[in-house]
Amino acid sequence: MSIIERVLFWIAILILSVAVVGLKTDLSELEQKAKEISSYTVSSDDEGGEEE
Amino acid sequence: MSPKLERIIYITIITVLSLMLISYGKKEIELQKQIPLTVDQLYKKLSNPKVSIQIIDVRPYEIPEEEEDEAEEIDYYTGAHIPGAIPFPDCDESKTPEEALEQINPYLPTVIVSKDGNPEIFKKCAEKFSVVQNLAGGITAWDEEGYPEDEGEYEPPRAGGGGGCL
Repeated sequence: MSIIERVLFWIAILILSVAVVGLKTDLSELEQKAKEISSYTVSSDDEGGEEE
Repeated sequence: MSPKLERIIYITIITVLSLMLISYGKKEIELQKQIPLTVDQLYKKLSNPKVSIQIIDVRPYEIPEEEEDEAEEIDYYTGAHIPGAIPFPDCDESKTPEEALEQINPYLPTVIVSKDGNPEIFKKCAEKFSVVQNLAGGITAWDEEGYPEDEGEYEPPRAGGGGGCL
């Protein structure tokens, strides 16, 4: 295997790793937001239930 | 290490990383469906010409004459709508004007606009689009914030594309 081929493989691995880490960070933020929204919805539903 | 084995290892690593990327991407799209877009976020997106976004308005297209006196402008599409929004009442093709139906693209990032951001209507419509978000508070919130609105019949854009614009 030539050095050029090896370098190209490493570049691809590096780019994919950065993309995976970036997407994982975005996902964590989105999961956090989704949890906040669902807990807010549940609590507002409970309040609505109490009023009845 | 033999070159063949080395190559197999590299390809395996790249395949695993690609699969992770695809699965995270799918998960991100699913999560975005659960998080409504605020009117401020939508306004910012529409103000940016680089962002391609489609606004689908699911309110009734027009109100029958006999109900016109009681109805508010934000109750129906022709009364008031976000500039560039495409009417798609109840996400039902049979209720949609033909010229609007031609403009709907299920693969574009889409924002669903209802009267008050009703999650039930959003759920029904979300199945028809691949990347979709609900507008929190719907047209009511947009109207209250005083953002620009259009009124009247739907006019398809002259140069193709179905997105919203300001």
